[in-house]
Amino acid sequence: MAVVCELCPRECVIPEGEAGDCRVRVNIDGRLRASTYGRPSAMHIDPMEKKPLYHFHPGSPVFSIATAGCNLHCLNCQNWQLSQRGGEEMEQIYRADPPQLIELAKENGCESIAYTYSDPIVFYEYVRDSSELARQVGLHNIFITAGYINREPLRRLCRVLDATNTDLKAFDDRFYREVNGGTLKPVLDALVTFREEGVWLEVTNLIIPTLNDDLSMIRRMAKWIRDELGEGTPLHFSRFHPQYRMRNLPPTPGETLDRARQEAMNAGLQYVYVGNVLGHVGNSTYCPEDGTLLIGRVGFHITENNLTPDGRCPSCNRPIPGVWQ
Amino acid sequence: MKRRDWKGGVNPRRRRFLAVLVGTLVSLPALGATARRCKSRQISLHEADFYRPHDLEG
Repeated sequence: MAVVCELCPRECVIPEGEAGDCRVRVNIDGRLRASTYGRPSAMHIDPMEKKPLYHFHPGSPVFSIATAGCNLHCLNCQNWQLSQRGGEEMEQIYRADPPQLIELAKENGCESIAYTYSDPIVFYEYVRDSSELARQVGLHNIFITAGYINREPLRRLCRVLDATNTDLKAFDDRFYREVNGGTLKPVLDALVTFREEGVWLEVTNLIIPTLNDDLSMIRRMAKWIRDELGEGTPLHFSRFHPQYRMRNLPPTPGETLDRARQEAMNAGLQYVYVGNVLGHVGNSTYCPEDGTLLIGRVGFHITENNLTPDGRCPSCNRPIPGVWQ
Repeated sequence: MKRRDWKGGVNPRRRRFLAVLVGTLVSLPALGATARRCKSRQISLHEADFYRPHDLEG
């Protein structure tokens, strides 16, 4: 008996013995199995800034895991060796059921677990079960995703998530279809769902020269974020480096990132960052009221943190949105 | 092969047939023993949420 996977908008019809488009959700004897449950292929300890999350427990170490598989197929994928493979194709498969994962995170002095690198949507059940246990011992759960997921599964998962950085790859459905193998609307719905469910949300937009660097599109995207998610939503513009099947394009010029940042700030967004550019002024957090440097960063490293303990500007006392303690 | 191509001894066709037969009979128990030693392991896979049965014909 074939099954229909209802986790993501692809809604793959999966005949017996085969896998969905993500390669890791498999129909065995008419039952859908999450083949990478408890079997991560990547485990690292990263700083929070690498996710990137700039307004959530700055500087804290995050136990970061991923399994194989992804439900998008971005031509510029940075982790294609992990995301564009099925679990059985991986050189490295660890065994870490949720209780073991929590133990590992605690042993390594981490305050949070990040489900990241590939897209954790495809190992949904593993994320959910691990997150429930993590909550019980006071660990935070962080979901780094492209947001290509159906509403109902996402709403249920949000109950155990604390923060997300979600990619908004472009404000253009055609780009999603041609470069990522997805569509725009479900991603916008996911962003709104995260906001509605009270999960701390930051958004990343990777700017690829000639493909999604149009300033009018960036302006529309910034206005949508301002109106639908709030002007205090941090937006990270990230620099593209030639990767995977998109080695024909150059890295994003610095001026493009500067212009995009300015455009988004002109549209009313208060915290706009530039990533993958070491030492850029857009690595740091400033007070939107009086321009005071609140958190200085060079790459993933925090050089100074001037926020008050309750997350306010030390000069004007303005509260800065985020989860600081 | 015609009769004039072989002189005396065993017909080459029969010889080949016998060789294959003996080889098969000898290797079967060895294969069986190997299969018993390396029997497949059952890996438990977690059941996924959010799916429904689908009738491909329907």
